[in-house]
Amino acid sequence: MKARAGEWIALYTISVLVALVLSGVLVEVSGGDWWPVLEALVDGSVRGPQRWGQTLGIAAPMLLVGLGTIVSSRAGLVNIGQEGQLLFGTAVAVYFGFRIGGPGPLNVLVLLAFGALGGAVWAGIAGVLRTHRGVPEVLTTLLMVTVAGQVVAYGLKKQSLLLAPAASRGNRNQVSEQLAADNRLPVLRVFGNEIPSATFLAVILAILVAFAMGRTVWGVRLHMLGRNPRIARRVGVSEQKYGLAALLVGGAFAGLAGAVMLTGGGFQFSNYRLVPGFSAGIGWTGLLVALVAREKVLAAVGAAFVFAALRNGSGFVNSTGVESRITEVVQGFLVLALLIPPAVMFLRDRRRSRAASAAGV
Amino acid sequence: MSSDSPGLVGADVVSVPAVELRGIAKRFGSVVACDRVDLSLHRGRIHGILGENGAGKSTLMNILIGLVLPDGGSVCIDGKPQLIHDPITAARLGIGMVHQHFSLVDALTVWENVALGESGRLDPSEVRNRIGEIGDHFGIVVEPDVRVGDLSAGLRQRVEIVKCLRHDPNIVIFDEPTSVLTPDESAQLFQSLREVVTAEGRAVVLISHKLDEVLAATDDITVMRQGRVVERLNTKLASAPALARAMVGREVSLRAERAALGVLSVGDTHDHVAHSTGELPALELRHVSASTGRSSVALDDVSLSVFPGEILGLAGVEGNGQRPLADLLSSLVPATSGEVVVAGEVVVAGRPGAMTRAGVAVIPEDRHDSGIVLDMTVAENLALVDLAQVSRNGIVDIRQLERRALDLIDEFGVQCEGPHAPMWSLSGGNQQRVVLARELSLDPAVLVAARPTRGLDVGAIDYLNDRLRAAAAGGVAVLLISSELEEILDLADRIAVIYRGHVVGDFPRSDVDVQQLGLLMGGATP
Amino acid sequence: MGDFASVVWDIFTSEATYTIGALFAALLLFGAAGELVAERAGTINISVEGMLLAGAFGGAVGFDLTDSVAVGVLFGIGGGMAVASVQAEMSHRLAADQFVVGLTLNILVLGLVGFLDHELAPVAHKAAAWRVPLFADLPLVGEALFGQPWPFYLVYLCVPVTWWLLFRTRWGLEVRSSGEDPRSADLSGIDVNKRRRQSIYLTGLMSGLGGAFLLFAQVGVFDDGMVGGRGFIAIAAVIFGGWTLKGTIAGSVLFASALSFRLSLQAQGYEGINSELLQALPFLLTIAGMAIFAKRVRPPAALARPFIRGLK
Repeated sequence: MKARAGEWIALYTISVLVALVLSGVLVEVSGGDWWPVLEALVDGSVRGPQRWGQTLGIAAPMLLVGLGTIVSSRAGLVNIGQEGQLLFGTAVAVYFGFRIGGPGPLNVLVLLAFGALGGAVWAGIAGVLRTHRGVPEVLTTLLMVTVAGQVVAYGLKKQSLLLAPAASRGNRNQVSEQLAADNRLPVLRVFGNEIPSATFLAVILAILVAFAMGRTVWGVRLHMLGRNPRIARRVGVSEQKYGLAALLVGGAFAGLAGAVMLTGGGFQFSNYRLVPGFSAGIGWTGLLVALVAREKVLAAVGAAFVFAALRNGSGFVNSTGVESRITEVVQGFLVLALLIPPAVMFLRDRRRSRAASAAGV
Repeated sequence: MSSDSPGLVGADVVSVPAVELRGIAKRFGSVVACDRVDLSLHRGRIHGILGENGAGKSTLMNILIGLVLPDGGSVCIDGKPQLIHDPITAARLGIGMVHQHFSLVDALTVWENVALGESGRLDPSEVRNRIGEIGDHFGIVVEPDVRVGDLSAGLRQRVEIVKCLRHDPNIVIFDEPTSVLTPDESAQLFQSLREVVTAEGRAVVLISHKLDEVLAATDDITVMRQGRVVERLNTKLASAPALARAMVGREVSLRAERAALGVLSVGDTHDHVAHSTGELPALELRHVSASTGRSSVALDDVSLSVFPGEILGLAGVEGNGQRPLADLLSSLVPATSGEVVVAGEVVVAGRPGAMTRAGVAVIPEDRHDSGIVLDMTVAENLALVDLAQVSRNGIVDIRQLERRALDLIDEFGVQCEGPHAPMWSLSGGNQQRVVLARELSLDPAVLVAARPTRGLDVGAIDYLNDRLRAAAAGGVAVLLISSELEEILDLADRIAVIYRGHVVGDFPRSDVDVQQLGLLMGGATP
Repeated sequence: MGDFASVVWDIFTSEATYTIGALFAALLLFGAAGELVAERAGTINISVEGMLLAGAFGGAVGFDLTDSVAVGVLFGIGGGMAVASVQAEMSHRLAADQFVVGLTLNILVLGLVGFLDHELAPVAHKAAAWRVPLFADLPLVGEALFGQPWPFYLVYLCVPVTWWLLFRTRWGLEVRSSGEDPRSADLSGIDVNKRRRQSIYLTGLMSGLGGAFLLFAQVGVFDDGMVGGRGFIAIAAVIFGGWTLKGTIAGSVLFASALSFRLSLQAQGYEGINSELLQALPFLLTIAGMAIFAKRVRPPAALARPFIRGLK
């Protein structure tokens, strides 16, 4: 067992190093210097004033999306439409949030709830098509991302749907009303950093998800469905119920992430308004968080923080004369690098066990 | 050891061997699959390779046809050393194999399948002509433009054989060819094999775990055990008990073990457990039809009942509806008509979990398909079916889960690193024990065992059969579905036969003989 | 409604509609023809989006270096192949999850070209139109089919070649059996993962061409948003077409028509149908198509299942 741990660490170290070196080479080739870029990244993500809090604020929705993804992939479903579920969830939250308009703090809860509901509905369409018509959810969830973008853009053109009244939108033509100050998630101050309460919400939900997946009958049944749907069916785990539920939960988390981005105080994604492109890639990144974490909640927390740091740090990179999108490249290389060790180890384990069973031992 | 055909007593062989394997070694990780194996195959002779599952015979043949590369040793074809690194090279050297589970692609037509695995330009009309020629020459007629998925198992084997013969191989390997054939069809196959061998001077290898078959059809026999050749002899000088001893490595006396080795003991019956008349059947199928998909035989108007305390053996050649029957009793497919009654209650087949709740336990034909979850732990696999036993208010009690697992591991002798070992790390035999332990621990009313001994070694088979008998003695109604007649004859109290989705015949064990069963399995009416 | 009818009439009688539609269809076909081969071999190759973008970027780099469209097209192929190599080697040598790899590649390519974009001189580069005499003078569709910039005509080559490769060659037979029953293919002596990798490389080649085509024949200036999800529409076309070449062509043409129709409506200044919703139309059509046909159309049996010898 010890030797195996060593192999894991070695593989991960090498892969990540290669990814980072590749990124560094790319910076050098395009005429930059890698060291200042790295410094800028660190300054922009954790070292600079207020940056810690912002990074945590960005990590929160990423983690939320990742948690939902973990639940749906636990059931063997490949949901890759979080970006759309997030956007549509936010739109639903905006639509109902401004119509219900209860007392401030309570309305925050309304916004979050409708965000989750909207995300669940959007994922649920793909879910029902999967469980009742046999349509692969990989494709429907993916295609629904673009549809969500178009639907929300359409909604933002109609004042009866999402568009803000002329008085409050100034000269912009596709923008929702701004959330009132008391409709926003509170910000906590820790050591001079502003940390949005969303971060705490995400961590609490992470603990809940970890518990649900590992310790509850529901979690075991989802796992069974994901890994062997036939035995699952034999023992009474209905794909139509559990599979759909897993996708709904996945969508709900994405929608919740959107609502958090809208209401979350510490980091402002779009100044408390819904605009086209509001989702800003958080859905995609959250998906990547879950993919590199491979269904492990703790790893998802770590990955969310790293990706959030890259994103937050990218703001400082421009000052070094290097295009800030290098952070996207680093992120892509990192994800690919993190895919390699488990794939290698999987192949080796399975070859060994196959050999063992082939030889009847 | 001398390398030229050792053990061929009274050798009437003078030619250069068609195939000569020397010192073939292959390890998978820490496991030795082939340990310095020598083997000579001669033209004009049928060579039987006997061995239990895992004895290394498949690995050896996979090396010969280029699917596995050996770690050491040499391969000579017609006296010339050769490196065979893929099946295409093997085909060029005149080696062909008829695979046990076929190498056919259902979605393609017969001619496309036959053309698969060659090199060079694809010429459909040439392939079609060749199929016709082979059909004329060997009497194996197949229609070239039918989809393979639409063919019966027997016809698919014909396609598989044509595919193998297309290269006009000098060396033909048959891997357990009789599992999809009725006894009659098997006899025919061996008859035509004999003709091919004597008339055309080909070398034929017959891989089998059935002693009777090898004794009846071969000229030479090599017995393998744990990767080594433990016996080579001329078939004329071989006897069943001696071969059995060589295969298993110890004296084989138990009747069950002999059955497992494919030795039929006609008239050998055991104590018949009679169910009292008037008792309700634990499982009853009334005019049930069901189907698993387009390309397999569907269950058609099947009626049968199994009573508490008895083993009903359902005999039949593979692919005659056993699959949909097992799927039906696993809640995997709905009944398109008729009803399934368990302990007097009608059960809605196809509703997830319905059969399990009604008290039907299943040992599936393919445990990877619906028996275990490879990515879960042994403890989880042992608890899968009834999670309520190890949980409270929907939360799994880890200690309870572990305790239960330890008990079952102990009781059923599962060899593993502990309750938290991943299921994939267990050998096939131990995985099967996990399935058995779990299913029996549920106190089922009905136990469906579909080919439960497939791929197990003799010791494990013996254990499993004892367990099945004990379960029946304890009042469980056991439905044993098997294509191995020996197994059925050994275990069952009553016997029925399944043929093309129909169930025909229902006899007490004492009233049947092998010939009669064989005919029924081939479609004769009782 | 009379107003709408006349607008539609104008659109259907305008050459521009067909010219734009043909360009859209060609782009989708470049992606979809390769994607079809990859899917028949058993891969849902989501990175086709990234391959198209890499193709376009490669084209821009090639042109930047040499001022030659032909060299640009070759560079475009190189771009597509580079993405294909990562997808192929990671998902069919290492057996990493194909969706994860594909998705990551799409994001990575977007980041990479966004990062490197600034190294390029921002010049317009559009290939010259080649008019096929006589044919280009056909009414309505002549310009569209025979009066396009030369990279367009490559699609006339790609589609038949795909058909020939997939259905008339031994390679195609082996590719199809790898996607249907990799275990049997393996037993027959076919290197399943090699065939799968090759089919992805072919997708890379054609998508690379497609990307270069997009740059040189359609847009003229490189922009990292120029593909804009049309790789996904190409995947949708394959599925909509029930994994047949005919169906894939039909799907590509149908989706291209929807895209072109939307543009034409906008050009006519018609506001009665919302342009966002029209833009979502190809996606909605695909989803509806899959919902209706999913149970009748049979995908390759081993689609999206990795093959490791000895493992199910």
